[in-house]
Amino acid sequence: MDNVIAYMPSILQGTTITVAVALCSVVLAVIMGLLGAWGKLSDSLAANKICEAYTTLVRGVPELVLMLLLFYGGQQLLNDFGHATGLWGYIEINHFTAGVFTIGFIYGAYMTETFRGAYLAIPRGQVEAGVACGMSGPLVFRRIIWPQLVRYALPSFGNNWLVLLKATALVSVLGLHELVWESFTAGRSTRQLFTFFLITLLIYLVLTAISDVLLRWLDRKYSLGVRRA
Amino acid sequence: MAEAGPAANGGVAALSVEDIHKSFGPLEVLKGISLTAHEHNVISILGSSGSGKSTFLRCINLLENPTAGQVHVQGELIRMKPGRAGDLVAEDDKQVERIRAKLAMVFQSFNLWSHMTVLQNVIEGPIHVLKVPKEEAIARGEAVLERVGMLERKDYYPAHCSGGQQQRAAIARALAMEPEVMLFDEPTSALDPELVGEVLRVMRSLADEGRTMLVVTHEMGFAREVSDKVMFLHEGRVEEYGEPQQVFEAPKSERFKQFLAGTLK
Repeated sequence: MDNVIAYMPSILQGTTITVAVALCSVVLAVIMGLLGAWGKLSDSLAANKICEAYTTLVRGVPELVLMLLLFYGGQQLLNDFGHATGLWGYIEINHFTAGVFTIGFIYGAYMTETFRGAYLAIPRGQVEAGVACGMSGPLVFRRIIWPQLVRYALPSFGNNWLVLLKATALVSVLGLHELVWESFTAGRSTRQLFTFFLITLLIYLVLTAISDVLLRWLDRKYSLGVRRA
Repeated sequence: MAEAGPAANGGVAALSVEDIHKSFGPLEVLKGISLTAHEHNVISILGSSGSGKSTFLRCINLLENPTAGQVHVQGELIRMKPGRAGDLVAEDDKQVERIRAKLAMVFQSFNLWSHMTVLQNVIEGPIHVLKVPKEEAIARGEAVLERVGMLERKDYYPAHCSGGQQQRAAIARALAMEPEVMLFDEPTSALDPELVGEVLRVMRSLADEGRTMLVVTHEMGFAREVSDKVMFLHEGRVEEYGEPQQVFEAPKSERFKQFLAGTLK
């Protein structure tokens, strides 16, 4: 028990890092997802192909492999390029940024499909009704498409968020001192791995439970007018 | 260009459409259709499915881009330029948006915005397109909902209204824009038979109060009793046009005779 109390501050510190990585990543993933969906739905063949390649590639390989590739490989590539062109010297990407970028990049591919599907679920006629009464393109997007896009995207977004939150555990491999890294350290130093991972498990459960409550609240807010079976 | 108000436009047609052509790829669905609607005119557009009647209506407010032709609304020409797909596209989006606001459309499948209540649907256009202050838009919205008998359901969402109620709400949404011309695209075709009457009654009352209306419809009774003019389209051409009496009593076109025979129950 003394050990638990002694290590609790660092475990909680790790928890804040986990939450911070997850929140920053999800923001990036949503941006990537909106861009990806826009690209996939656009009339531009080039944009279609690029976004198609992005989602196929990212969804087709293990996250850990991609994470290691982007973190170590990306850093190497960046430095080789800087060295070759003389544009910059040695750069070391910090773990937090690397984690956010890789997770955001990976989950952006899943979000792309989420938003694309949500957009396609909006009845065309409702868009036409907006156009027909004289709304401009941006106004139709803001008043008619966006609120419904959010509603249709929410269930799948919630799913992605939970998986993303848990995937931040992988960032411990890159050496970021988040929840899993801190517990592992505490567990090994005290030889109480079971205790510390049990605590970790409970912390993840609390985080996902809070997420569930928030997601359900959002769903209610955006589902006005939806007939439930 | 004359910007004439309703009172001053004695000679100017509310809507005049000249020689509209429309092709989908190699298929030409409209082969030169013209139509003039003066203020207070109610014109019914008839035709079997595939005759191009809905496409024609949708070319008027540029929901479809015509391949050729001109549209004037109250004497103002909608400026169009050749687009990439070989059709004509709006030259000035702002002009088209302004004109669309004068041509309210009622759709076959209602197309109410499902995330808004009936009242929110009705005040959306006035507030965000016409920039009417909110209180005024609500007062106007409630008045038009009263007009179509939907005031008591103003806080319901479309999903909780019957088809007939949704269509009446959609008509109220169109009315709230205080349009110069109302375009109806088969407004009763998606309704259960017992719900058709309530919508037709509203449309009749609109005709009676002198609204300018173009109605694509299969309702022969409405076309015959309510409209000033009837236009029958077949394979993208006007086969028959005239006053309902003359058109229904003594049709000149063989096609129209066949069509009438087919619609008699």
